[in-house]
Amino acid sequence: MDTTTALETAQSLLQPWAQTVTQPEPHRSDFVVAPADLLAAVQALMDARWGYLGAITGVDLPAPAPAEGQPPAESHLAALYQFFNGAAVATLRVTVTHAQPVLPSICDIIPSATIYERELIEMFGFDIENTPVTDHLLLPDDWPQNVYPLRKSFTGFGGAESA
Amino acid sequence: MTNQSQPQKFIVPIGPQHPALKEPGHFEFGVDGEIVTSATIRLGFVHRGIEKATEDRTWVQNLYLLERICGICSNIHGTVYAIGVEKLAGVEIPPRAKYIRTIVAELERVHSHLLWLGVAAHEGGFDTLFMYSWRDRETVMDLLEGLSGNRVNYSTNLIGGVKFDINEKQADEIRRGLDFLEERTHYYMKVVTTDETFLGRTRDIGTMTREQAELLGAVGPTARASGVPRDVRSESPYLAYNEHPIQLQVHDGGDLLARFIVRLNELFDTYRLIRELLDHMPAGDLTVRVPRRIPEGEVLIRGEAPRGELVYYLKSSGSDKPDRIKVRTPSLCNWGTISHVAVGHKLADMPMLLVGIDPCFSCNDRLVTVNNTQNSQDLTWDALRRYGIEYYK
Repeated sequence: MDTTTALETAQSLLQPWAQTVTQPEPHRSDFVVAPADLLAAVQALMDARWGYLGAITGVDLPAPAPAEGQPPAESHLAALYQFFNGAAVATLRVTVTHAQPVLPSICDIIPSATIYERELIEMFGFDIENTPVTDHLLLPDDWPQNVYPLRKSFTGFGGAESA
Repeated sequence: MTNQSQPQKFIVPIGPQHPALKEPGHFEFGVDGEIVTSATIRLGFVHRGIEKATEDRTWVQNLYLLERICGICSNIHGTVYAIGVEKLAGVEIPPRAKYIRTIVAELERVHSHLLWLGVAAHEGGFDTLFMYSWRDRETVMDLLEGLSGNRVNYSTNLIGGVKFDINEKQADEIRRGLDFLEERTHYYMKVVTTDETFLGRTRDIGTMTREQAELLGAVGPTARASGVPRDVRSESPYLAYNEHPIQLQVHDGGDLLARFIVRLNELFDTYRLIRELLDHMPAGDLTVRVPRRIPEGEVLIRGEAPRGELVYYLKSSGSDKPDRIKVRTPSLCNWGTISHVAVGHKLADMPMLLVGIDPCFSCNDRLVTVNNTQNSQDLTWDALRRYGIEYYK
């Protein structure tokens, strides 16, 4: 399957759940998916044997400082589920708020996703429902609770900052 | 209350110091007599926070930092990162620079696979083979040093090209070195496939089927030794792999022996590829100019490290520093296979099994250790030195 066909196939598979589809690079398509639709979208790719899960990347998207007199905007976290099929890359983009960073676990569909989900939990503070293991993967056992190092607000312990 | 009729479960903790390998990792093997019944893995002992650290450094500074993620496959990190930044900036590097990057990447594969062969032989108790392969590995280390001046962090890349050229004299030295290594690799292939004692430790040990390898997310030689035809160099060719394709090395065995055969066959293909690249080097510049501020955008770059697929995700917000860099290293994927293949084998097979995936701890572990006690203090270099002298008095 060449790259263009692979991306077209991914687009038709994800059609029911993709809110928007963009193609930032010739070999890469991004699909914005609601958290509630994530499992169905992943299942659709896996049922069709469309490639494999390459990585789940967390991104912190803090709200810009509010203008004078305005209420502060809400900060977000994004999780990018990156699937590779040959040279083609399909990314499922799911965005949640800092206040309610809840995502379903995809480990029932892809067991090896557990390491990425553990990383999302400890580094960004995602709350991943039904994930099999929530122990620290990379951070020390005595790492303080609710401190998420890859959030932009974390700048080390010098300034005693927590999420 | 303990049910006395239930057999007791023994857990053998191994590591984090020296868990057979010279790198830190903690393993807990549940055993029934000599047979392993379960395995869990705890990583993170050398996590240094590099992903976070990149957000405070410029695109250029990060090249140096990222090359230091790993002491074995240092070059591929810098290369994949540089390709990503160049893509974000919309610049194309000169063809000669692409060839030099490819040659160094392949020389690095030679040194990494020979290093692995030695470590694997050592864990199996074959120290003669270990000494031989590490002695021969010096040949490729000398070649890399001759090109770059360094044995470990070659610092080949700039954002926008490479730092050094390869002249005809150096090319001839590389060719001579490869001839010697090729002859030696034939010898190693003979040893690992015919020596009965060695086969006793590798044949049918740690067998992983193709379905299991795909399900567990194995990459690189570990996956290819289970028949998964997956190699970024052929799936999604980058640098000079388009013009000079690799010959994919796959084996259906799935056991430790297959992992030896795949890596050794890869060495033969790498020797062929380097010779081909040296014979067809295009003339021209080594660098192009890249702006200091990288335009806003996101890229996802993949490269084939000696251990398998390496993934970089780069996000720029248009400044001279990245907004987010995510590194997905091959070892992280391959760990998942260990807890699976370990079950049912003897405890004594564990070191060989662990080594079978060619694990690289610095690949997985990338975060700072932060002293979070209230009375933490910063030491100056002098104070630290005095403290060390006092401590060991």
